[in-house]
Amino acid sequence: MAPPWLDVLDDAIQACTRHDRPDLAARLRERRAHLLEPKLRILVIGETGQGKSQLVNALVNAPVCAIGDDLTTLVPAVVEYAETPSGAMLMEPARNGRGAIEDAASSARRLSAPVESVTTRANRDAATPGGEVVRARVGLPRALLEAGVVLIDTPPTGESRSRHTANALTEILRADAVILATDATSELSASECELLGQVMRICPSVMVVLTKIDIVPDYRAVADRNRARLAKAGLPASLVPVSATLRLAAARAGDRELNVESGFDELVHRLRRDWLEQVDQLNRRSVAAVTDVTVDQLVAPLHEEFAATQRNGAGDALARWHAAGRQLEQLQRDAARGQTMLSDEVSDLTSDLEFDLRDRTRQILRDVDEYFDVADPSNTWQEFEEWLEENLTAVAETNFGWLFDRFDWIARRLACHVAPERDDLVPDMGEADPPVEHATGLRKPNVEKFSVGQKLFVGMRGSYSGLLMFGLATTVAGMSLINPISIGAGVAFGLKSVFEERGSRLKRRQAVAKTAAHRHVDDFFLACSKETKDTARTLQRMLRDRYTSYAEQRRAEITASAKALKQVIDAEAAERNKRAKEIRSSLEKLSALRQRVRGVAGPVRVTGGAPRELTA
Amino acid sequence: MNTASTAELTRAILARAMELYRDNPRATSWLRQQATRFDDPLRLAVIGPSAAGKSTLVNALVGDGVAPIEPSGTQVMCFYRGAQEPRAIGYPAAAPPRELPAGRSARRLRIDLDGLAGEGIGRLEVGWPSRSLRELVLIDTPAVGPDSEPRAVRSVCADADAVLCLLRQPYGTDLDVLRAVHEHPAMRAPVNALVVLSRADELGAGRVDGLISARQIARRRRREADVHEVCQDVVAVAGLAASGGRTLGEPEFTALAMLARLPKEELDTQLLSAQRFGRGDSPLPVDAATREGLLGRFGLFGIRLATTLIRRGADSQPALAAQLVQRSGLGELRESIDQYFVAPAEVLKARSALVAVDVLLRMEPRPGTAALSAELDRALAGAHELQELRLLATLQAERDLLPEDWREDAERLIGAYGTGLPERLGLHQPSGAEIYQAVHDALWRWRAQVENPALGVAARRAAMTVLRSCEAMAVGGGDPRPAYF
Repeated sequence: MAPPWLDVLDDAIQACTRHDRPDLAARLRERRAHLLEPKLRILVIGETGQGKSQLVNALVNAPVCAIGDDLTTLVPAVVEYAETPSGAMLMEPARNGRGAIEDAASSARRLSAPVESVTTRANRDAATPGGEVVRARVGLPRALLEAGVVLIDTPPTGESRSRHTANALTEILRADAVILATDATSELSASECELLGQVMRICPSVMVVLTKIDIVPDYRAVADRNRARLAKAGLPASLVPVSATLRLAAARAGDRELNVESGFDELVHRLRRDWLEQVDQLNRRSVAAVTDVTVDQLVAPLHEEFAATQRNGAGDALARWHAAGRQLEQLQRDAARGQTMLSDEVSDLTSDLEFDLRDRTRQILRDVDEYFDVADPSNTWQEFEEWLEENLTAVAETNFGWLFDRFDWIARRLACHVAPERDDLVPDMGEADPPVEHATGLRKPNVEKFSVGQKLFVGMRGSYSGLLMFGLATTVAGMSLINPISIGAGVAFGLKSVFEERGSRLKRRQAVAKTAAHRHVDDFFLACSKETKDTARTLQRMLRDRYTSYAEQRRAEITASAKALKQVIDAEAAERNKRAKEIRSSLEKLSALRQRVRGVAGPVRVTGGAPRELTA
Repeated sequence: MNTASTAELTRAILARAMELYRDNPRATSWLRQQATRFDDPLRLAVIGPSAAGKSTLVNALVGDGVAPIEPSGTQVMCFYRGAQEPRAIGYPAAAPPRELPAGRSARRLRIDLDGLAGEGIGRLEVGWPSRSLRELVLIDTPAVGPDSEPRAVRSVCADADAVLCLLRQPYGTDLDVLRAVHEHPAMRAPVNALVVLSRADELGAGRVDGLISARQIARRRRREADVHEVCQDVVAVAGLAASGGRTLGEPEFTALAMLARLPKEELDTQLLSAQRFGRGDSPLPVDAATREGLLGRFGLFGIRLATTLIRRGADSQPALAAQLVQRSGLGELRESIDQYFVAPAEVLKARSALVAVDVLLRMEPRPGTAALSAELDRALAGAHELQELRLLATLQAERDLLPEDWREDAERLIGAYGTGLPERLGLHQPSGAEIYQAVHDALWRWRAQVENPALGVAARRAAMTVLRSCEAMAVGGGDPRPAYF
């Protein structure tokens, strides 16, 4: 019958697959394969220079692992049982396609090497760049190994420069138990305690071995302080002080007493009693720990995701939706402000234009008055008419040109205000024809000529009173009524009245011409200002329509996108609720699994009390 | 080239600062301290994690058993300076300093700390007659480790001109302490630190030849970037053996000689482990108390080394002492200290003093500080030795400032491996003509680099500094020390 922990492990593997974590599943599967093997894999870990390799050597009583004063071990060395001593280096599986086919059977290449130098060669190979050796394998005929122990010597931990550091940690996943080597010259460091904590989460069967006790006179005090430190850190690991030097010396001399003194007697005894004879418990604990860690790893992202779903996750869409609303308001405000701006500008413009027009026409009128103060319209009318027409046309053109310029400017300003990014919104004002027809059509006023007959008649009428006045006066002197004096006076009087008449007629003509010109300019002003105002109004309307339609269009766009966003938000919320439900059920399943894990580990804690007491 | 010595310049600036702050008693006393300190020998602090062998190394350097002094069980900063007679002054945290009764017996410092019971002691100053303390003031510091408070590190930085950082292991996190030291503004340059593998005997698991491989490890470590950027050199020392050798007494020698007379196999069996050697029922001809004492003073490695040396012919107390000192790596350490710290002591002290004035000017600005600050900047920028130090730091931090082989050359010329002419030129016991030739080669080589358009602006400025060093050597001629000393 399969042991209960196997079921739990299988369920955990299934859970990993279900939660799409093939990496974790692969890890657990590997672990399962190792657990089903009858062997007990003991990993020897520790920081640099703590005597790990020497510890392995002393345990098997043979210098199989290379030792040195500096960094020595670069690749893990596996020491296991073999009937005759043998050594081999395992190469990295070749990565290219051809190699993969060749190595399909073994998945890793082996290279045999003499047992005494295999680790040295493996380390040397690993030190050279591009070295492919991933581990060394040593087989030795030893009773401890025959009992199922496999010792794995690892590169130092905490040494980031070694490319195999990561390997050392992954090795822990494959180990059934771990020995932490720490030398007696110093107490357990904080980093070692931390390492131990990490290791115990994955592999709870840990023993701390205090090495090199031969060179430290008061190693017992160090051991006591280390035990206290372990207890303080809450790490239930036992501590065994050993000296590899003494053990090897004892083996050379065959000295039993020295062997006891080396502490290895005790160590081997503990390995057998606590670990080898309790394989099932080790397995249970190990499964419980590994599964626990795995479940943690599965649960953590689920929790996170769940929290995310509870956090009203569609934050982005919602924010965009709100932003759309704000945009709409902004748009309305902008549009209203644009309209006000437009009407203000246009009324400014019309008043400016009217003033300009009036100013210019007045100037013309002043010129006209001055002109007709001296000129006789009957002679110069033709010339005057051309001049006036020319001037009025110029006025109309200038005024209109100004109107369009101003409108162009207003349009740009508005566009800049309403839609700075859309310069195609500014209409092309072009050049409209100024209303020049109002400048023409000046009618010549009726200017009467002073004809010869009229002159004669006026002269006669003027001369009459002179003739009579002087004739009567001379009759007193006895002269006849018609005499040379009276005739002379009559001629003089007649000429004077003719001249006077001619002057007053010129004045009248000039006044008539002025009046005609005034009327014409007035007409022109009226028509022209009407025309200007109409044009301004048309342009204003055009601008208004243009910007209103743009605003409408924008509003429609924003409303549409807001509607789409709203739909998305609703959909997401529904999706989220669904996912939250799924996560909750997954979490429930996982916690049930965890309960079972605890159940597997539970009895261990009770029956495992004995060794724990001993280790305390 | 302005060779107005850095020392004079420093004194002038200290005097100016004193003038400026004469109405401020705190600043004045601080400046007076700096001035005294500038006239004192170089202050060398021994720092390291707990049980790294700091006190042992101090004893080894002093040559007598002076450390540790632990008033009420806690370690304090302890200054050891040369004096005619043993004397000790305690500086309680909240009381005036007071003289403590101190004496000397059996080459050990006897100090009566009862007078200070119950008072928190800030630091202790011990005067001790020793040749080694003539050119150094040694500072034994409380343990600083990754988990200790940064205040300890900071006070070390404020008080020391140079640092010996003790490491138990060549790898690991212990080096972080030294990195923390370098984060202090007063120390920002790896030009005043040495790393000492202080328990080198343990690296070789106590084998007699263990120190040879420890030296190799030290050499290897020195070349690695993470070490190189925080210190100038790595030295391996077997602390216990070294201090044992320096303080070897006649009775100890007699005991060791007696042990050495035993057949080698028999002694080796007894020396297999410390417990075995110290056992009460041991068949050794030396009584248990003496053996206990020897273990404590020399360590297993020290005893193994000493008996081997006696067997090989070091058959008198002075001969054994000398051999022990040499074999333990202490001689090498002394040489390194001479080369890196004692020779450029003036510059290191000047640097400390100027940095201290700079700190004061920043902390308590007042009218007139701006001018002094400018002068200080000019001094810091102008003194060529300081420029060399700075360039050294830059070169060690920015490995790619100069091309690889040029960097090596530059570091050597500006005194990374010692400021004497032969060290700068990389020559071993050169003749005058050789020196002349080498200096002129270097001069031409670097003159070309200063104008090398392929180099960047920073690199050309570095080359300029190197060139000035070469010029100084050329002016100094055959004098083993360049002209500016």
